[in-house]
Amino acid sequence: MRDAVQDEIIAQFDGLEWLDKYGLLISFAKELEPMDESFRTEENSISGCQSKVWIRTYEEDGRLIIDLDSDAMITKGIIALLLRVVNNRSPQEILDLDLYFIDEIGLKSNLSPARADGLASIIRRIMKVAEEKVN
Amino acid sequence: MTDFKKDFPILEKEVYGKRLVYLDNAATSQKPGCVLNTISDYYRSDNSNIHRGVHYLSEVSSEKYEKARDKVSKFIGAGEPAEVTFTAGTTDSINQVACSLKSILKGNEVLVSGVEHHSNIVPWQLAGAKLREIPMDEGCNMLPHSIEITDKTKLIAISHVSNVLGSVNPVKEVTEIAKEHDVPVLVDAAQSIQHMPIDVQDIGCDFLVFSGHKMYASTGVGVLYTSERFSGIIPARGGGGMVDRVTLEETTYLPPPLRYEAGTPHIAGAISIGAAIDYMQNIGMKRIRKHEHEIYSYARDKLLATDGVTVYGNTDEMCGSISFNLDDIHHYDTGLILDKMGIAVRTGHHCAQPLMRTLGTEGTVRASFALYNTKEDADRLMEGIEKVRMMYA
Repeated sequence: MRDAVQDEIIAQFDGLEWLDKYGLLISFAKELEPMDESFRTEENSISGCQSKVWIRTYEEDGRLIIDLDSDAMITKGIIALLLRVVNNRSPQEILDLDLYFIDEIGLKSNLSPARADGLASIIRRIMKVAEEKVN
Repeated sequence: MTDFKKDFPILEKEVYGKRLVYLDNAATSQKPGCVLNTISDYYRSDNSNIHRGVHYLSEVSSEKYEKARDKVSKFIGAGEPAEVTFTAGTTDSINQVACSLKSILKGNEVLVSGVEHHSNIVPWQLAGAKLREIPMDEGCNMLPHSIEITDKTKLIAISHVSNVLGSVNPVKEVTEIAKEHDVPVLVDAAQSIQHMPIDVQDIGCDFLVFSGHKMYASTGVGVLYTSERFSGIIPARGGGGMVDRVTLEETTYLPPPLRYEAGTPHIAGAISIGAAIDYMQNIGMKRIRKHEHEIYSYARDKLLATDGVTVYGNTDEMCGSISFNLDDIHHYDTGLILDKMGIAVRTGHHCAQPLMRTLGTEGTVRASFALYNTKEDADRLMEGIEKVRMMYA
């Protein structure tokens, strides 16, 4: 099912050259609130990425709040996009999501397998947390 | 200056609308047309299993395979072709030595340099050996005279050239010291065989290993040179083609090199190594060294002269790889932008995590050169770096 947030992201990237796409990701990265140093622990890190990625989640009024950060800017930019789509939704809503924007803006097919795997690891982790909350 | 690019069909390729600048040669090199033709011709007209058939094609392919072994043997100055075993690559070669020497290594010690690839660390650990590093100075110059050999030291295993820094280890000095203590030396030549003349007798090592794919030949094939004094070691693998007599109680083996080549080997791959050696020898290894050195130094000097760039390692002799980072920019972010500018580099720890710890970094950007790279490629890299800086400013 299409959703408005993802469609908006796709429209933002539509027709851009690769370097411009990266430029956009960098600007999103700069806007993303950095995670507090104390949460950037080994426990909160996600393996499978070339850059370091940290995740922290908690529930608030039945919605899952996700905090993500990375030490690399492009990864952080992608994380910012991902958060726009998945953050602040109920766990069930998250589980029902079809994350088609990744493919449509070319992030999945055009990035190196290492990177695509990294993104997949992040999504897997979010889905796992959502699943635990539902059960 | 001779342009060798024309010999490599893939280098005509454009990526993202820009001519490809391939600077990931330490990962794998591109293949010249003559090597590609050799592989294709083999499958088109000679393909057959070796050392088994009574038929015409089997004889042809056996002869070509053995001719490749002969070329390798001469190329590295081995005493005779029987000292050359075809393996699946550098990693496989090292694992085979580790497996064959397991009874000696278990509970003892292997000395390695401070710049090793994981493939020259993990196999020894799997064999039950403890590893100890040979000291190096701040520029990553190995200090062979600081080598401490004890009763526990059963092997010294060192890379000839670092896959990360391009630093050249003083392998000959090491073998001289090792000989005084009667300790064998394995040299990992994966990053040197394509860049400089190699003579195993001059180096004085007992084992020398390298891969085909980094020296303009096929992937999935490599070489293990074993000196005569180790020619009797037990094979790491068993199977067809390596035995003399098999009963369920006991098996006797063929003499080397067949003893060490169980199963059907990568025949086309081995022949492609022969073709790559022909290609390089037609140019001349000394000429390749000189030509590459000029371009390598050109690129390195440019990087060193750029503000905000940290270049890692500084040894007396260098070749192949240059590792660097841009201040405050993640190596991965640098690599992604360079990629979109048509420049292929590698980023990360380069399978050398202990060295990364020594350098105090999570990873680096590595530009690694081969004989077809030009000063123009180095200029494109510098333009790319400028663009990266602008984008993250």
